[in-house]
Formats: sequence, C-alpha cells, structure tokens
Amino acid sequence: MSEILDFLPVPTLVVQPLGDSYCIQRASTGLLQAWDRTREDLVDKDLFVALYRGSKTERFDRIPLAYAIETAVASKALRLCHAAYVSGDDTWTARITPVHKEEDLLCLLLQWEKAELHVAVPDGGMSQSWLPIDDAFRILVHAVKDYAIFLLDTRGNIVTWNTGAELNKGYKKEEIIGKHFSVFYSEEDLQRGKPDGALERCLREGRVEDEGWRYRKDGSRFWANVVITAIYRNDIHVGFGKVTRNLNERKENELRLVAAYEESSRLKNDFLANISHEIRTPMHGMLSPCSLLLDTELSEEQRETANLIDESGRVLLQVINDILDYSKLAAGRFSVQSDVVDIAGIITSVTRSVRTTLQPGVSMHLDLAPGLPKAMGDPIRYRQIAENIIGNAGKFTEKGSITVQVSVSAEDETTHTLLTKVIDTGHGVPEDAAAKLFEPFTQLDTTYQKRRQGTGLGLSISKSLCELLGGDIGYERNPEGEGSIFWFSVKLGKVKSPKTTSTDAEQGVDEPSRSPSKDHSTDAALQLNLLRGIARTKRILAVEDNIINQKVLVGMLHGFGFEDITVAGDGAQAVSILVSQGHVFDLIFMDISMPVMNGYEATVWIRSSGSCVPIIAMTAYALKGDREFCLEKGVDDYIAKPVNRQLLMQKLLKWLCHPDSPAHVNGDSTEEPANGCLAIPKEPVEA
Amino acid sequence: MAPVEDQPEDVLDSSLVDLNTFNQILEMDEPDDHEFSYSIVFGFFDQARETFESMDAALDERNLEELSSLGHFLKGSSATIGLTKVRDGCEHIQRYGKQENLDGSEEPDEDLCLERLAEAIQTVKKDYEEVETVLRKYYAQFDS
Repeated sequence: MSEILDFLPVPTLVVQPLGDSYCIQRASTGLLQAWDRTREDLVDKDLFVALYRGSKTERFDRIPLAYAIETAVASKALRLCHAAYVSGDDTWTARITPVHKEEDLLCLLLQWEKAELHVAVPDGGMSQSWLPIDDAFRILVHAVKDYAIFLLDTRGNIVTWNTGAELNKGYKKEEIIGKHFSVFYSEEDLQRGKPDGALERCLREGRVEDEGWRYRKDGSRFWANVVITAIYRNDIHVGFGKVTRNLNERKENELRLVAAYEESSRLKNDFLANISHEIRTPMHGMLSPCSLLLDTELSEEQRETANLIDESGRVLLQVINDILDYSKLAAGRFSVQSDVVDIAGIITSVTRSVRTTLQPGVSMHLDLAPGLPKAMGDPIRYRQIAENIIGNAGKFTEKGSITVQVSVSAEDETTHTLLTKVIDTGHGVPEDAAAKLFEPFTQLDTTYQKRRQGTGLGLSISKSLCELLGGDIGYERNPEGEGSIFWFSVKLGKVKSPKTTSTDAEQGVDEPSRSPSKDHSTDAALQLNLLRGIARTKRILAVEDNIINQKVLVGMLHGFGFEDITVAGDGAQAVSILVSQGHVFDLIFMDISMPVMNGYEATVWIRSSGSCVPIIAMTAYALKGDREFCLEKGVDDYIAKPVNRQLLMQKLLKWLCHPDSPAHVNGDSTEEPANGCLAIPKEPVEA
Repeated sequence: MAPVEDQPEDVLDSSLVDLNTFNQILEMDEPDDHEFSYSIVFGFFDQARETFESMDAALDERNLEELSSLGHFLKGSSATIGLTKVRDGCEHIQRYGKQENLDGSEEPDEDLCLERLAEAIQTVKKDYEEVETVLRKYYAQFDS
C-alpha cells in the first residue's frame, strides 16, 4: 500500500486529521521530486507549516486550503483548491479527497497538479492571473453598491444588473433585464433625444459622460453622473457599459451651500443697510448743531475744533451713504427713475464743483460734443457716477490736467448711448490693480500717496449704477504717458421732440454742499457787515406766492441792507418782469410750488433765455433727492423753509460777494481759476 | 424808560410756536414798535381764516387737489412764522389731498382720504385757534 502510494504518478500527500490540525503522513516520491523537497521536510509535520512556512503571507496562504479541506470533509466529497502551493515558477492545484470509514475521517488524499496559467492584459494593468477574468469581474461588478453598473446590448436593452443598480434605480434584476435603458430618462430628455444621442456619440467617441436627472422605478429622481462606454469584441461592437453614480447628496450639498451663501450675503447687506440708516439720523443730529455752533462767535481754537468735528462728520456721512447705496445695489433694491436728463448741464455742474477742489496747477477742460441730446434716464444717478469719476480724477491728479469728454457713442431707434471719458495726468493705476478697480472696498495704496478718505466703494457703486442705466464702465491707461482714462456709458431713452443742449452748456450750476462757505473764520457780525457793504448796489427778484412769506423774506432782505427788491407772485409774473425789465437782477429767490407757473418752469425759462443769474430755490420739501432735482433743473442753490436768517445771509454772500459774479456773464473765458464761480464757457474747450 | 415787556418765551408755548423762527421775525421790528411783526402775524390770521373757508368749500366739492394745494399754501406761511402745529397739520392736509398716507405711500381710497381730510381740517383749525389766542394775548400787551 505504501509503495503504491510512493509511486503514484500524481504527486500526492496523505494527511491525517489531528485535533484541529492536519499532519502529513506520507509524501509520494514524485511529489518530493517535483517540489524538490525531502521526506523529512514534510512527513510528520503539520500540513500548513510544511507548505507555507517562510512565506511572507503565511497566514493568508493557508486560508483557501483550510477552507477547501473543511468543505471536503463536511460534504464527504472531492474539492479542488486552486493554486494551493507554489514551488519555484510553478503553481499547484490541490485535489482534495477525504477518505471516510463510515462517519470517521480516516485520512485525506491531496493530489497536486500544475495549475494552468491564464494570461490576461486587461486595462487595469494586471498582467497575470490564474483567475477566470470574466467571472471575477462579474462578481466584482455585481458586488458594487454605490454605482449602478450594467451592460446594454447594441440597441440599448439592458443585459446585466448589479446590486448598485438595484439600490439606486429601484428595479429588481428580473424586472429590468431586457427593458430599454431609456426608461431612466425624463419625458423631456426623451423628446430631446438625449438617450439615443448619447449612444450615437458614444459610438463615435468611444465614451460619453453626462450629468443630469435620472428617474427611479417609483418616479422619484436623482442627480446622476453617467458614463457610457462602447464595448467591442474582436473589433465587433457588442454593446455598451453603463456606470451611473448617484450625486444627489453632492447636489443637495451644493444647493445648500449656495442657499447658505445667498442668505449670509443678504443678511450682511440688510445689516449694512439697517445700521447705516440708524447711524445717519444721529449723524444729522450731530452735524446740524455743529454747523449752528460754527455760526456763533468762537475763539480761534474752538473754531478749529468745531471745524474738525464738522469735517470728520461729513466724511463719515459720505461713508455711510456709500455703504447704504452699495447694500441697496447689492440687494437689487435700487430704483431708477425716468426723467429728462440734461447731460451737458449735469457735466457742467459737476466739473464746476470739482474745479473748486483741484490742487494748484491742475487745469480742467470740458469737451462736450456738439448736439448732445436731452434724453430720458435717471439724472440723479448719472450725476452720482459723474461726481464719483470726475471727483476721483480731481483727488488723484497732482499736476497737469483733467479732460472730461462727452459724446454720443451709439444710437438706435429708441435710445442714445452716451460715452463720458475722464482723462487725467495723475499717477495712473498699476497694472495689477487695474483688474480689481471696480471691486467693492478697493482702495489703491501706494507708498507715495496717503490713503484717501472714503470707503473704496465709489467705483463699485458707479459700476453697478452704470449697469442699472444700461451701460458699462472701464479703465484704460492714458496713452499719452502718465495718468488714467476712466470711461462710462449710459443708455438713455429718446425724447419725443429732441432738443439739443449744446448751447445750454454755459448754464452754471454749483454744488452747495461741496463748497460750503469756505470762510468759517468770518463770524456772523463780520459777514453781516460784508453783506451790508454790497447790498445797496444789488437787485433781487423774489418769486413767492404766499404774501406772508413775501413779507418776511423782504423784511429779512431789508435787514441786510437790500433796497432794490422786486416781488413776483408766481413764475409767470417773474418771467414777465424779466421780459419787461431785462436781465437786471443780481439774484433770484424762487419758490418752487406756485400757481400758474411753478419755480422749476420759471427756472427752465430763465435758463433757456440765456441768463445765468444765480437762482436760489426756496422749498419746504426736504426729501432726499430734492436738492439734486433742484440743481438738475438749473437752480444754483437751495434753501429750506422756514428760511433761517443766518443761512440766508451766507447764501447771499456766497452768490453776491464774488467780484466776478456770474450775474451778467454769458461766459467767454476759457480758463477759470480753480475756485472761481465763473460760468462754464459757452463752447466746448478742446483738450 | 419803556415798561418791561413780556418776552415771547414767557407767553408762547414752544409746542405751539418755534421760538427761533418767531424771534427772527420779531428781530425785524423797529426798536420802538412791533408794527412789522404785527402786520405779519395778523396778516397770517386773515390768510388762515380765508384758507380755512376755501378748505371747507373744497371739502364739500370733494376737490382733493385743491385741498392739497391749500394745505401746501398755508404750510408755507405757518412755517415762516414758526407755528409748528399748524404747519404740521397743513402738511397732513397736503398729503391726504395728494391721496397719500402720512409716510408718503399711496392711498387709493378717495373716501378714506376725504374722511381724514375732514378730521385734519378740524384739528388744524383747533390748533390754529389756540395759537391765535396766545399770539393775540402777546400783542395785546403792547396796546396802550
């Protein structure tokens, strides 16, 4: 018996169970030769120790053989264990035969034969395997839970179905095999030919990837990433592989993130808007008494301190207003009005007020294209942009010149597009900063420039306003060397009966808030003396419909020493007085709300008659925007009712005391002193 | 020496009259009489009574526009003298006449506006009577 065993042609081990382990009883001679082992090496040794000792993966190596033996014993049947032993380059498969005597296991025969080598070069890079590849992959794919992986035949019918597909799409294998894959698409996608398009593209390109909604058996949908790959065997197209990944969670997270971002941004803007609004009221409450304080008799030191409070307060107020505008713009709550915009008038007025802030030696030129139209738009917003851009040029130009050009850049049936260019010879903008110019809270810091007052919101607000007005804003280098060109465009609606305003360009409009009576050191008494000195020679027209107000105004003016005062009861009377007496007045006070012809209409008439006599509006409206509206209509200044005597005195001094008062000047001068209140020249000045 | 006069702040309640504004007008008087301010104040009394009559008429005609314009008219002169309460009342009339609420928002209900106008006119008349009495008393001290 033992001899037979020794000489069996198949390498064989006889193993005996010993408790939980197995001990080798015999080894055939063929086996010793084939494995190049000695009998002592094996016999009477533990099977697993003898086969696997020394291997780095000893603990894993024994697992398949131990399991095969266990099942062979349990089923009392033959089992194969693939690649159970490695000897040199050869791999051996064990055929395990349990030998039972009734219920008792006598021994096991382990017969070995060389395993057949499968060589495969799949795209995964594995070069060698003894596994049957197709089966292995089928098992792998079937086990995947997170991805729906399945095969389609060449026409798109479903051929295989894995666990992931079942979990994600809700169909059982038996109910979906043989169905067409287009059931996963929405009706809309089907009508747009999405599934068939995907297959066509896949054949052309080998692979398509797509993201979109896919539908489950229960009708619910999920956001999916889908990859379809064409499958070929021996160059013949046999079908498609489809991998679908459920991105619902990612999509939901994205949506949540976006919502959270929007919410936080909205909260920020609301907060800014509310807080600015809250700060504004007490700011006004502080600034008004401060200006009253400045009108009283103060020592030099006190005046200096009060001036500091006043100036800082105004800067703070501007900052708050900017933030308020910005947050309104960001929240999309900014309303745009539609009114007649007199571009030439606005630009003239803005340049005039910026002129007073220019540094010495800087000149300013205005170049209005002839025939600028009057058009429909928002005059206050246009003015705000112009003030910002031209004001910036004024702030940042230390020598040279600033040129403001306005022209019509485009026109169609219903609109004009107006281009405003501001060219300066200032420091310019560094290349790297140019890209960020219009972002909020941006201020350019350079070593030789001190930080300017403000929030850095001006350009960002201007950009938003331009967009609201259907235009754009931009920056380019001044091609003539140092400096910048800032340009902005706005789209304005055409007025039915177009009038040109180039001849109106001389109408000077000043900005009262930007040039408050600069001379705070003059006290009230001195101002009164000054006014009394000039009052007797000046003629004033007071247009006011209410007799009580007429009387009080005239009384105050008398008190200042004015003797020649003409009163008109409404705008029409004022016009007829001007027609009969000519433009002999040095100043006009204009009530706004009057019967027959109101103050705005009268002002427009006066301006169109070519007069640039200073006109001071008196109004009991105290709403935001009224000042701008008054200025827009050609009024030079305005005073709120009830008229404060101190304030009235200051306004009179401001508009009458200048030796070159614009009263009768129709403006032929081309160069003006930076702080002058001369009228803007009639004809555009070439840069 | 002139007898000691009551100062306006002694007689006039600052809730009725803005003393700064009213003093501006008194300051325009000649040192020895009150003719100028008297003419202004009593001129205003006439104007106010006339205006109230016009308001009543306009209310009967349901003429909102006219009421608004009358409100604005009297607002101007009452503000000039510093009659704060009357001025505020006139502003209400101006707004209701324009079919606005007090905050400036639109109020399309015409009947509601008329109802409010009738009420506002009553209020402004009452406030006016009050301030008229006080002012007459103030000027009465100069009669001799």
